[in-house]
Amino acid sequence: MIRLDKVDKVFPGASAPAVDQVSFQVDEGNICVFVGPSGCGKTTILRMINRLVEPTGGDIYIKGQKVSDRGVNPDHLRRKIGYVIQQIGLMPHRTIEQNVALVPRLLKWPENKIMPRVKHLLEMVGLEPDEVSKKYPHQLSGGMMQRVGVARALAADPPIMLMDEPFGAVDPIVRGRLQDEFLRLQKEMKKTICFVTHDINEAIKMGDHIVIMNKGKLVQHGTPMEILSNPIDDFVKNLIGTDRETKLLELTKSEEMVTQTEEIPTEVSEKDCFIMAVDPVQRALEAMMKKDADIVGVKDGDKFIGTISWEDIKKHINRISGDEA
Amino acid sequence: MEFEMERFITALVDRSPPHALEHLQLVLIPLFIAFIIAFPVAVILTRQRFIKYTDRVMAFFSMGQTIPPLAVIAIFFPFLGLGRTPALFALTIYALLPIARNTLAGLKGVPRDVKEAARGMGMSEWEMLFRVEIPLSMPVVMAGVKISVVLTSGTAALGALVGGGGMGAVIFAGIDFFRAELIIAGTLIIAAIAIILDRLLSLIDNMLTPPHMKM
Repeated sequence: MIRLDKVDKVFPGASAPAVDQVSFQVDEGNICVFVGPSGCGKTTILRMINRLVEPTGGDIYIKGQKVSDRGVNPDHLRRKIGYVIQQIGLMPHRTIEQNVALVPRLLKWPENKIMPRVKHLLEMVGLEPDEVSKKYPHQLSGGMMQRVGVARALAADPPIMLMDEPFGAVDPIVRGRLQDEFLRLQKEMKKTICFVTHDINEAIKMGDHIVIMNKGKLVQHGTPMEILSNPIDDFVKNLIGTDRETKLLELTKSEEMVTQTEEIPTEVSEKDCFIMAVDPVQRALEAMMKKDADIVGVKDGDKFIGTISWEDIKKHINRISGDEA
Repeated sequence: MEFEMERFITALVDRSPPHALEHLQLVLIPLFIAFIIAFPVAVILTRQRFIKYTDRVMAFFSMGQTIPPLAVIAIFFPFLGLGRTPALFALTIYALLPIARNTLAGLKGVPRDVKEAARGMGMSEWEMLFRVEIPLSMPVVMAGVKISVVLTSGTAALGALVGGGGMGAVIFAGIDFFRAELIIAGTLIIAAIAIILDRLLSLIDNMLTPPHMKM
């Protein structure tokens, strides 16, 4: 869907390239997260995809078409790509309604199609249309403005979204909620999303695919699981942090580790220690600690499907983190 | 110098009104021309390609402000002669700087993130200019226009010296004939013109100011 081929960017006057020979591909319907320290080139890559920055070398393709083709008008290209930035950048002199309607109006949608769309979008991002439509951005809280920013980017239903630290300006609690809601939306929308963050936890949570950048170079890319279980070098290890194993447990669903049995072990039934199959394995550990048990039962809906024991988890961690105990 | 109330009232009611009208023209015409020149020039100077000329052009506008209007008239005397035209010309040059400066400042003050988002949404350069940059810089631009109005109202009195008419004619007559009534009447009317124009512009300003910037 989006493909970068040996893309370079050297800003005038800079000694080192901001982006250095970067190639990768984002598949349709995936969230690809770019993560790395500030100045690593992740934002520049994003801005090259919608041509806010022109690469000095290499090619970028969207659905097989080169974005730098002479027939492509950059303004028209951008209208078909959703764009969300950390500072949001809502038009302060326009109402929320007018802000969300911005791209449809640029695309000259008929007026009678725009208003229902705006209402639908505001509802979709969890805002009350009657309450906020006529308000101005400065009358909204930071979290609400971020929601409007997302709604505005989604307005013309672009197949591609570029998001540059879209939840970076709000407090951690609101951020967590916005992330969850966005993932829920994405399940229905199936947009192709490029997402920039400096927070590896956000990357692991949001990403189907993670691209790790440092000093303009692509260091490693893969699924969150691949990156956590097999960090390529010390830079990636440091970025992930010391809690790699717990992060892995957060990513692993209980059903992937369950030892299937028909019979409910007495320890499990006595201590009423159950988790759901879709819960992360992390939850199994929590349940064990809370109920002082060494084994938990796993249920799929109401049906008992098996158990996970403390030993299972230990083995699992050792296996994927590579140091056999 | 003595002061007679009767003479003062005659000066104010009978003698001044035609001159006041002339004076108003000496203020509004230069202001209008200055705006038509300074505003677009300042807008152009904030475009990427032309930023490098900003200092030079602004130096030119500053010069217009520092040279006394009478000197401008003297310099252009061979071409424009005396009368209304050179007065209008000198006052126009005088009114350029505040408008140009404030337009520059207003456009530079448009938040970066708003411009970044607007471009990212796919606005063309023209759409950006007319839908984002100009509306958001309007309060600062209008402040510049108001400064120019007040400056020009006062300076236009000098127009009378070169036969341009205006309230200056009343004031200078008062000086020549030692009539305090004329001087005071002329000054009062100039002040009134300045204040009324400033208020009128505030009304326009208020209409143009985006809601979030209103106090």
